[in-house]
Formats: sequence, structure tokens, C-alpha cells
Amino acid sequence: MSDTLDHTRRNFLYVAAGGMGAVAAGATIVPFIGSMLPAADTLAASKTEFDVSTVVDGQLVVIQWQGKPVFVVNRTAELLKQIDGHDEVLKDPNSEAIEEVSAAWITPENRKYRSIKQEYLIMVASCTHLGCIPLYKPSPGRKEWGDSVPEDWAGGWHCPCHGSLYDMSGRVMNGSPAPHNLHLMPYEYTSDTQVVIG
Amino acid sequence: MLDKIMKSKLFGWVDERTGAEAIIKSQLTEYEVPKNLNYMWNFGSLALLVLVLQILTGIFLAMYYKPSAALTMGGYTVAFDSVERIMRDVNFGWLIRYMHAVGASAFFVVVYMHIGRGLYYGSYKGPRELLWIIGVVILLIMQGAAFFGYLLPWGQMSFWGATVITNLFGALPVIGGFLQEVLRGGFAVGDPTLNRFFSLHYLFPLLLAAIVGGHVHALHVVHSNNPTGLDVHEGKSTIPFHPYYTIKDAFGVGVFLTLYCYVVFFNPQMGGYFIEVDNYVPANNLQTPPHIAPVWYLTPWYTILRSFESKLLGVVAMGASLAILFVLPFLDRSKVRSARYRPVYRQMVYLFFVTVIILGYCGHSAPTPTLKLVGQITTAYYFAFFLLLPFVHKFEKTKPLPEEI
Repeated sequence: MSDTLDHTRRNFLYVAAGGMGAVAAGATIVPFIGSMLPAADTLAASKTEFDVSTVVDGQLVVIQWQGKPVFVVNRTAELLKQIDGHDEVLKDPNSEAIEEVSAAWITPENRKYRSIKQEYLIMVASCTHLGCIPLYKPSPGRKEWGDSVPEDWAGGWHCPCHGSLYDMSGRVMNGSPAPHNLHLMPYEYTSDTQVVIG
Repeated sequence: MLDKIMKSKLFGWVDERTGAEAIIKSQLTEYEVPKNLNYMWNFGSLALLVLVLQILTGIFLAMYYKPSAALTMGGYTVAFDSVERIMRDVNFGWLIRYMHAVGASAFFVVVYMHIGRGLYYGSYKGPRELLWIIGVVILLIMQGAAFFGYLLPWGQMSFWGATVITNLFGALPVIGGFLQEVLRGGFAVGDPTLNRFFSLHYLFPLLLAAIVGGHVHALHVVHSNNPTGLDVHEGKSTIPFHPYYTIKDAFGVGVFLTLYCYVVFFNPQMGGYFIEVDNYVPANNLQTPPHIAPVWYLTPWYTILRSFESKLLGVVAMGASLAILFVLPFLDRSKVRSARYRPVYRQMVYLFFVTVIILGYCGHSAPTPTLKLVGQITTAYYFAFFLLLPFVHKFEKTKPLPEEI
């Protein structure tokens, strides 16, 4: 009897029992890691309403959406002109990367302005490098900003943390550590001036 | 003293039930240590002392600290105010908090000296590879604990430092976004982040204590290296740990505590190096401070991160700069341990120490084109140091080793 002990059968049972135990132990991770994901009330606070007419010509206002800072800029005709003429120094002039964030409203006409209404640019205020809030430096050239910006500065944003540069449409310039343009988000106008973000 | 206690009746009673005498003998009174250890060998026991101090002061701080980003009537937050309450109202709160904050920096000073000692005298080489690897794990957990702890006062540097570092994880392909959400518990650093960081800040030192136990155990199996790097023969060139090295370590503790107390009592912020000035400004998620820098002990790695134009490359390089420490024992092929007898390695390791200090300086300063270039050159050498090691022994003429220490 002892000579004919079936080792394959025994080994199979060991592996099967051990395997099931490992799966069960692994499955207990799910509730623990799951508990660390954003809670229901955090997810619920995901829409923000804002009246863009409160932003005067050329002004930048920072509001909050999902706990993140959001820029709302009222671009004058002059500032809008600064968007043109430097496509060659941009990493992604047509905002083709991460299409889904602006898919809700982007059209071929507003692509370079990156906004539903040309003058009101609304975008996430976190540098796509490491999340600092870039500084608003709208006037062209170095006169107001010193050597924190390049000589041919077209106006836009400069991130103080690692020197990323964005133009007046939040498009990232070559040589910046940031990989993407400042993120857009889904939003819509519920009246002429009332915007719902999210 | 110890032998008198060990002869007592009470000790005999305990010994019968725990085997205490055998432990004391094998780990202290009959644990053989090379007789020629210099003062660089004091930093291990000092690190243990600081760990105990950090845990002790941390437990008492947790009795008053409140991890909440909820706004208070004063316009600040519960967390920020609770730290200020510890500083102003809690009896001896100022002392315990300064001990804890200065202790964090002291911990890294001591541990970096300890690691530098290991590098210079080749303590990472066989048979101590695993001892070294456990040490690297300890370093990573320490850095994690320090990072979690730094968020707790909920000042500007706390908030933006955590924003930057959690964004780093977001740069990883595939799992990045998920990891970032797990760390933050929301769309941005906020109240849930503060709560979990407090929980993890309490957890990590417990892990640390357990792994330090493993580190000491592994040391007691392979025994201490020594300045010559020679294998020692028991009895002839060794002395028992107790009383010889307990007394030498105690002397080191005296010197350390003198310096530590000086900083705690007279210069706890160390000119913004130990506690950054911006962290006395309450966290504001709508305004980034003009210049963000981590505390000094993380700045070398921050420079490596900043030296790359591509975000992903920067993150990968920073991870690699720490991960490469794990394989160091297998990169270095030389049969000679100590840099004393390795003229080429000796120059390399000195340059490496200087490089890490320059990297630290660059990471602490606001970015300028010159510093960026300096950072890139030193980053290149940081990696070159490790990557040259497999080849150095091929042309290095080592000096003759002594017969015995």
C-alpha cells in the first residue's frame, strides 16, 4: 500500500488548496485598496458653476473644481492676437494629445483658442509636469518678467517650479519639462455668461 | 555590572523561562567585533537612538495633533492650528515638536554618514550583500515616513510638496493615474490625503522598527566589517561588543546629543533647512509658493528628477537612482573591500560624496540655467559611479593588504 502512494494526487491537492488560499488572501486586498479610492461624497462634489462676466478684460481668476484650481481668463483682442505666429515652438499646437478632456465641445474653429468662446479661456490651473500653479505673465517680451521667460516671449504662463512655459492658450512650449498643454475639462454655457464645469 | 545582574536569583528565574543569558552572551558579551573600528562605526547605534527618539516624540505629538483640513474660525485649518497649539499651549509641546522635527533631519544626517561609511569601506560586499540591501529598504521607508510626516503641519510646503510628489506617481504609464488616486483619495491633495498620510506616517516607523531588527540580526550573522576590510579571525583581532563597544557607542551618543540639543534649543529651524520658512504659511490650494524645494535630505533626488526635460524620464531616473543601490553589491567586482587599498575607487567614492552634496545644493536652490547644467553633470556622475564599478577592478592596482588587523 505504502509503495503505491499517489504523489501526483497529493501534490495536486497541495497546489489546489494553496492556490485557493492565495487567491482568497489576494482578494482581501480589494476592499482595502478600494477604501483608499475617492469616497462617494468626494466624487459627488464634481461640478462647479461660475459666471464668467465677473472676469474683467485681461483678468485671470482662479476658481475651484473638484478641489483643483481652475483658471478663467478674459482674453482681450490683443491677448488673442498673441496666440498666433509661434506654432513651431509648441509641442502640440493643435491639442491632439488627450482628446477626451475637451471632446465635449472642441471644434476645428476653436481648436487654437482652446475654449468655447474665444475670449473666455477655462482650463485646469495645474502644470502638467508636477501640478504647481503656473504664474500668469500675459505681456509679451521680458520687460515685466525679466529672464524668467525667453527673449521672444509671446505672453502666457510660466511655472515657477521647474520652468515650464505655456502660451496664451495654455499650450506648452518646447523645452518645458511639462509633457502636455494645460488640461481642459468638459464644460458648457447654460446661459450667455453662466458656465457649468464638469 | 552586567555580570552581577546575571548572577542574581531573579535573573536565573527569567533565564530559565526565556534563555536570556544565551541571548545576552551571543549578542553582547561574547559577540565578537573587530578591534580596529573607528568612529565612523558609531552611526549605526546613533541611528537606532534617533529612531527611538522619533517614535517616542511622535507618540506624544499624536496625542494633540489633529489630521483635518477642515477650516477653523481663524481662517486656518484644524491641522495647522493643532500644530500651533502644540507649539504655544501644550505643556512642553514646543520641545517635543522641535525634537521631532530636528530628529527627522538628524536621522538622515546619521543614516547618510552610516551609508557613506559602508560605501567607503566596502561594507556592502560579500558576505554582507543582504545586510546592505535591508539597509536600502530602511532608507526607502525612512524617506517615505519623512514625506508623509511633512504633509501633517498642512503648511504651504507640506501641501505643494505632496502635490508634486503624488504627481510623480501619476507620470508612470498604465498604473500612474490609479496610484495617484489611491495616494490622494480625491482629485487633488486634500483632507482625505491628510488623513491617510497621518495613518501611514504612524505605520512606517513600526515597519522601520521591525526591519531594523532584521538589519541588526543580519549584521550579527555576518559580523561587522572594519576599516581594513579584511576578514578577521575571532579572538586574535576581535574584542567582545560589551563592554568595549557599548562604551564607545555611549561616548558617541554623548557627542551626538550635545549637538542635537544645541539645535533643538537654539536653532531648531536651522535657517530654513530643517523646517522650511514657507511651511509657517497655511496651505493654500490656489497659490503655489514662488519656489518649492523639498527638505534638504531629499534634494539630491529632486535634482536628478529636474535634470531631465521629459517628465517620465525624470521620474524613472529618480527611481533608478535609488533602485541602483540595491544592486551595488553585485556591480562591484573587486576582491578588495576597503577604499584604503583601492586608489581608483577611493577617488571615485570621494567624488561621489562631493557629487551628492552638489546635487543636494542644486535641488535646494531655485532653478537657473547654470544650476541646471551643474545638476545634469552631477546626475551623470551619480550614475557613472555605479556603472563604472563592474570595470574598475580590471585596471585598478590595489595596494598590498596587511596580514592581520
